[in-house]
Amino acid sequence: MKSHSVYLHIPFCRHLCSYCDFNTYAGLEEHIPAYIQALCTEIEFVAEYCEQQIPVHTIFIGGGTPSILPVREFGKIFQTISRVFDIQEHVEITIEANPGRLSYGYLKSLRDLGINRLSLGMQSAIPEELRLLDRQHDNYRTEKAVNDARRAGFGNINLDLIFGIPDQTPLSWQMTMDLALSLNPDHFSLYSLSIEPGTPLNDWLGEGLISEPDSDIAAEMYELAEARLHEHGYQQYEISNWARKGDGLGLMSCQHNLQYWRNLPYLGFGAGAHGYAGENRTVNVSRPDRYIEKLLSSEVDSSQNDISYPSTPATTRVTVISQAEEIKETMMMGLRLTGEGISRREFHSRFGTSLEEVYGGEIEELLGLGLLEWDQVTSERLRLTPKGRLLGNQVFQRFI
Amino acid sequence: MTDRIRNFCIVAHIDHGKSTLADRLLQLTDTIADRDMMEQVLDSMDLEREKGVTIKASAVRMMYTARDGLNYELNLIDTPGHVDFGYEVSRALEACEGAILVVDASQGVEAQTLANLYLALEADLEIIPVINKIDLTSARPDEVAEEIESLLGVAAEEIIQISAKEGLNVEEILEAVIEKVPPPLINNEAPLRALIFDSHYDAYKGVVAYIRLVEGKISPEDQMHLMASGAVFKPVEVGVFMPHLQPVDQLEAGEVGYVATGLKTVRECRVGDTLTSAIEPAAKALPGYLKAKPMVFAGIYPVEGEDYGNLKDALEKLQLNDASLVYQLETSQALNFGYRCGFLGMFHMEIIQERLEREYDLDIIVTTPSVEYEVVLNDGGVKRIDSPAELPSEGDILEIREPWMRIEIFTPTEFYGTVMELVKKRRGIFVEQDYPTPNRVQLIFELPLAELIIDFFDQLKSRTRGYASLDYHFIEYRSDDLVKLEILVNNESVDALAMIIHRDNAYRKGQALISKLKDLIPRQLFAVPIQAYASGRVISRANVKALRKDVLAKCYGGDVSRKRKLLEKQKKGKKRMKMVGNVEIPQEAFFAVLRLEGD
Ligand SMILES: Nc1nc2c(ncn2[C@@H]2O[C@H](COP(=O)(O)OP(=O)(O)OP(=O)(O)O)[C@@H](O)[C@H]2O)c(=O)[nH]1
Ligand code: SF4
Ligand SMILES: [Mg+2]
Repeated sequence: MKSHSVYLHIPFCRHLCSYCDFNTYAGLEEHIPAYIQALCTEIEFVAEYCEQQIPVHTIFIGGGTPSILPVREFGKIFQTISRVFDIQEHVEITIEANPGRLSYGYLKSLRDLGINRLSLGMQSAIPEELRLLDRQHDNYRTEKAVNDARRAGFGNINLDLIFGIPDQTPLSWQMTMDLALSLNPDHFSLYSLSIEPGTPLNDWLGEGLISEPDSDIAAEMYELAEARLHEHGYQQYEISNWARKGDGLGLMSCQHNLQYWRNLPYLGFGAGAHGYAGENRTVNVSRPDRYIEKLLSSEVDSSQNDISYPSTPATTRVTVISQAEEIKETMMMGLRLTGEGISRREFHSRFGTSLEEVYGGEIEELLGLGLLEWDQVTSERLRLTPKGRLLGNQVFQRFI
Repeated sequence: MTDRIRNFCIVAHIDHGKSTLADRLLQLTDTIADRDMMEQVLDSMDLEREKGVTIKASAVRMMYTARDGLNYELNLIDTPGHVDFGYEVSRALEACEGAILVVDASQGVEAQTLANLYLALEADLEIIPVINKIDLTSARPDEVAEEIESLLGVAAEEIIQISAKEGLNVEEILEAVIEKVPPPLINNEAPLRALIFDSHYDAYKGVVAYIRLVEGKISPEDQMHLMASGAVFKPVEVGVFMPHLQPVDQLEAGEVGYVATGLKTVRECRVGDTLTSAIEPAAKALPGYLKAKPMVFAGIYPVEGEDYGNLKDALEKLQLNDASLVYQLETSQALNFGYRCGFLGMFHMEIIQERLEREYDLDIIVTTPSVEYEVVLNDGGVKRIDSPAELPSEGDILEIREPWMRIEIFTPTEFYGTVMELVKKRRGIFVEQDYPTPNRVQLIFELPLAELIIDFFDQLKSRTRGYASLDYHFIEYRSDDLVKLEILVNNESVDALAMIIHRDNAYRKGQALISKLKDLIPRQLFAVPIQAYASGRVISRANVKALRKDVLAKCYGGDVSRKRKLLEKQKKGKKRMKMVGNVEIPQEAFFAVLRLEGD
């Protein structure tokens, strides 16, 4: 069986950031124990579909703010996971955390449980920007979190940064980059802020309290970051992601996210989690209370046979992905990988037809527009040009 | 029996409550059961319901037992009130002997009240004036009654005052119709002659012709003949409007109904043609209708070239249901093959555009609208053009003449100044004024049609807080100092964006248009220069900057579907734009000239 990735969603935050449209809730912390119990139930449910244990090579605990959980709750999760899945030897286990309330002790316990990658939501180094984003930390906290994590034994640390914030300037962005670089993380994720409906930021925009971020300036910031990161020895491997070389000289890219981009199977557990396995894409019910109810209410019967792998009692939607759809999604996701892109050979062996046969015209056009290129050495891999990285949608659109 | 038939229509200014009155009449006569009732039930087209406006006249047959104890067959036609649909009204009038003239009790007599009244008088109809909406607190029925009295010579006290919304006094109208509207003058024995006043296309029944029987009878067994097209057919079905199509065994002279012809080619059955029997044909066709005279012209092009055939087919079918639409083949350097279409006004154009998109599922582009010009050449020849692209080069032109209109504006006196100012800005000339009531003024102007079609009505409405109404008629062609304003996109002249304007306005309009286009043309993968150009020089230029960043961020928690949906949506938006050279131009750019604010 192909190795899988596992995503665990923790939909709780102490406080909601002004730009956040993730599936997360503040003030529901009292539900955490029941939620974790439901989460473990859901994991077991999926494991029971399969005769043999599903091999798992990455686990990603995202949110929300997973670092809101007491250590013992992680204990329960890992007990379940290691019992029902076949955990691979070099498994990557990531946790997302906010720098605000981390302590050395807490980090040490997580590390001891086997979590080996830490993704910190630093977002910005500029106090005004952090305030606008309504984040609950400052630079001191970020620095301390990184140092504590190193001490606790985390050898793989990511920093999340946001650019294109209203009133952010290329200069302030540079300062954020500099401070982040001085912390020497192993990985960077840089996200361009998009103001989503239903967020406070969007309301403020509507009320004229803030100005719409200028996309040309955001483009400039992106290019600035590309140059900076390159100078410091980070290598870009995805539109928004950079990693440095590890000790074994391999790139310390996020194996979990690579699974998405390569359009390979993953199981999603938790409220609002998405899964993709066995030709099905699944989505779980968003609200934690409904999630708990669906999994823990007594009428749940694991022998229900009207639902298909990998759905669970918490699943609200299953979409069957035909091969034609799978091809589209493989292109759309794979072309985000700026290094490996889409391999001609892999495409052929996966779909039994050649890349040119399906997309000859589109590729020709995009090569002509200077948005795509074949890798120079073997002409085996199709990928975005530097210009194409900022215009990804113009490329992906043509493949769907 | 035929003295128990009454054919009448409801006419009024827009929104004065014609369709609502029709609702009440349909309920009163039990034509539509209460549970099937909805507001303005005769406005059955999606577009009509959405916009709350009647676009098509609709006929319906009602049976009514009057106070005299007798049963009557009432054929009612509800008509549109918008100025662009006067042609629709005039055809409906031909099928009637009487007209109910509805006047809103708070607004009083408005421009189309007069216009439609005159149409009805020309058609020799018995007019029954009615004052509607007396339930409104702003209603002033007695004043309005006096207005009507001075207009029609009907004693103010005799005018029926109703609330169509609340069903008040509505029955009085039916009694008045029976009493005052004469039954049709008919001759059942003469050979069949029926006038086609409207039609639509049905995939199963072919062309369905709406007819008014003038003489003779029809039964579904009869072999029939259309006198103008020469088509001969045996009908699929003969029936009446209930308001759904209800088959019947026979229609008699004086009645209104339909014949499903089974004809598949639209050309064979036209509005205005006379239907007769193939066995015993009438000697002479009915007079039919004058052709509608289009005022506004624009090109309609498929976004995707391969849809050209579908567009042609759609226009043909649509014309069947909208006799005022005219079109002919056109080629544009920028947009390739399409159709030059003539419309009765801007609202009509908008409706056609939307109907093509919805009813025929087409992605189309409508080019910058234009009026029809007369160009006098140096060699003495005269050329008529309805597209700026056809304008000969400046050196060959002696003069350009444009259509002028006489316009009538009704407005509360407080807006006098602002209306005058608007007309002046648009090259209008004041003719005269009249005060039908102390606080309302009727202003008469002359104005170039080209100025009228560009946002004039909207401006008038916004300057008068919606209170002004407008009617217009063509008077004559007049020459003026007109020039062609060309628009260059990516250094190529886009003929579909060109327009003809007054030389004095060329600079200002060119500038305004370029700055508008700069916002409307989406950023492309390369910078796109745009320029306005007139009489050999560039008036204004700007650059649509190259698109730099267009990429979705985080795929969060593996939510691939959401990402894909966003991309699909973006791709769809793109499909609605026309590739001109290698630049994508959206529909709004072609209408930019209509939205130059502060005009
Ligand atoms: N208060 C009040 N409103 C009315 C009355 N009759 C109609 N209306 C309202 O006036 C508006 C226009 O009514 P319609 O019946 O659509 O008017 P119309 O004359 O058919 O309009 P067009 O066909 O577009 O010219 C609607 O909002 C009606 O509800 C009435 O007697 N009283
Ligand atoms: S911490 Fe993350 S998940 Fe929580 S509100 Fe802020 S952005 Fe959203
Ligand atoms: Mg109506």
